[in-house]
Amino acid sequence: MGSSCYEDCRGLQKVGGIELGENSFRSYNAEQPNQLRLLVMLHNIGATESSKSLTIQQISEWTRMEAPELQTHLQKLIELGYAQSFRSEETDKYYLTIDGIRKVLSLYS
Amino acid sequence: MKIGKLSWEFPPRVVGGIARHCEGLAKALIQQNHEVYLFTLDFPGSPSYEEMDGIKVYRASTELGHPNFLTWVLLFNHFLEKKMAEVSQSVDFDVMHVHDWLAAFAGISFKRYVQKPMVLTVHSTEVGRAQGLRSADSFSIDGIEWWATYEADKVIVCSQSMKNEICGHFNLPQDKVDVIPNAIDTTQYHTTADRGSVRQRYGVGWDEKMILCVGRLVPQKGIEYFIRAIPNIINRYPEAKFVIVGEGWSRDFLESEARSTGHRKKIRFTGFVPDREVIDLMTSADVLVVPSIYEPFGIVALEGMATGVPVVASQVGGLSEVIEHNRTGIFVYPKSPESIAWGIDRILSDPDRARWLTENAKDKLEKAYSWEAVAMKTVEVYRKLVG
Repeated sequence: MGSSCYEDCRGLQKVGGIELGENSFRSYNAEQPNQLRLLVMLHNIGATESSKSLTIQQISEWTRMEAPELQTHLQKLIELGYAQSFRSEETDKYYLTIDGIRKVLSLYS
Repeated sequence: MKIGKLSWEFPPRVVGGIARHCEGLAKALIQQNHEVYLFTLDFPGSPSYEEMDGIKVYRASTELGHPNFLTWVLLFNHFLEKKMAEVSQSVDFDVMHVHDWLAAFAGISFKRYVQKPMVLTVHSTEVGRAQGLRSADSFSIDGIEWWATYEADKVIVCSQSMKNEICGHFNLPQDKVDVIPNAIDTTQYHTTADRGSVRQRYGVGWDEKMILCVGRLVPQKGIEYFIRAIPNIINRYPEAKFVIVGEGWSRDFLESEARSTGHRKKIRFTGFVPDREVIDLMTSADVLVVPSIYEPFGIVALEGMATGVPVVASQVGGLSEVIEHNRTGIFVYPKSPESIAWGIDRILSDPDRARWLTENAKDKLEKAYSWEAVAMKTVEVYRKLVG
């Protein structure tokens, strides 16, 4: 499974309050897992409303990020208002907020 | 005519200018007694089908996703195609109208499936947006854009500068490409907003100058050059305040540029603001700055003209066709903070002249940029193909 993040030609370090790796915007950059990459991937795999929310395990399968690292990034996305979580059948599930969706769409425009 | 329109964005899914363009054009086509079937992507809270001012809006749900951007684009195109195939069982379309490369796969397949002509509107190009092709994704998108223009029976662009750009870059024959400008519904720009309270909401007092910049926070909008002009402007107008409206991936970079001016407290980043509020902001501002370095059309300049705010804009692309220097606005050099500061000073230092510019601008707007005229020209393009 590949990942697509956009490369900023200036090598920006942060996007939308999110830590970015160097040159990680608009290019493959699987070596640099980060919150922006996770935000984009959550959008592209379809976790865009509560009915399409995903568990940590499901997100981990798609993104190939380990659960502890994922939890840290997801918590940051929630703090920034880009993601939400809720508990269902004793499992935490995650999806993007409208602000999170708009953030991703702004990357694609 | 029965017109099938395809766009990856349509309100409330608003990314850039394509959503508003599709909405304005579709409404005007309905007014001229055409049937519009608009196929787009789903958005939280929006139904999979609804009629909006007569436009039949179908929102395809992307049932399967993928982390990779281009794979995701291919997948949502597949679901758009499925939705269109379903609707075409009961609707005999006369023409398909595709907006930009993102919906091109579905448009091209569907053109073959229903054997009807396809019109493509190119709103911008990857080579222009990215100011070059520096990544594998950019190179792929550029190729898809070329393919879409090749497959289209007719291509529409919004300015002569875009026509020159795509004819040169994609090697298209001149007679395949028609120029039809963008438009705005001027009735939406008459606001009764209380200027004082709008300014107050954004921390600008009555006795201060409110300098507004509206656009996605991406490099092509040139906002960094506007920010770098701020120290110069403050030297001349210490009471000036700066409001930057929009969201985008460059936001943190721009905020750090704002800090480096030494005037961070005078600069406000609002993030995403709903259309109504943008109109109120424009109506309440002293100057609207459009510092783009790439702009196929520059609808924000038209919006500013409609609200009656004086416009200072870079002389690039479509902006150079929308604005007449010293008659409907002020042109400045792109990527030049000194020139931007000069343009803003031209407006702030001469309020009578600024008022004259805005009166000329409104007059030009009503004559040249109505959706009714755009719809009529677009139907002419359809008729050339349909017969």
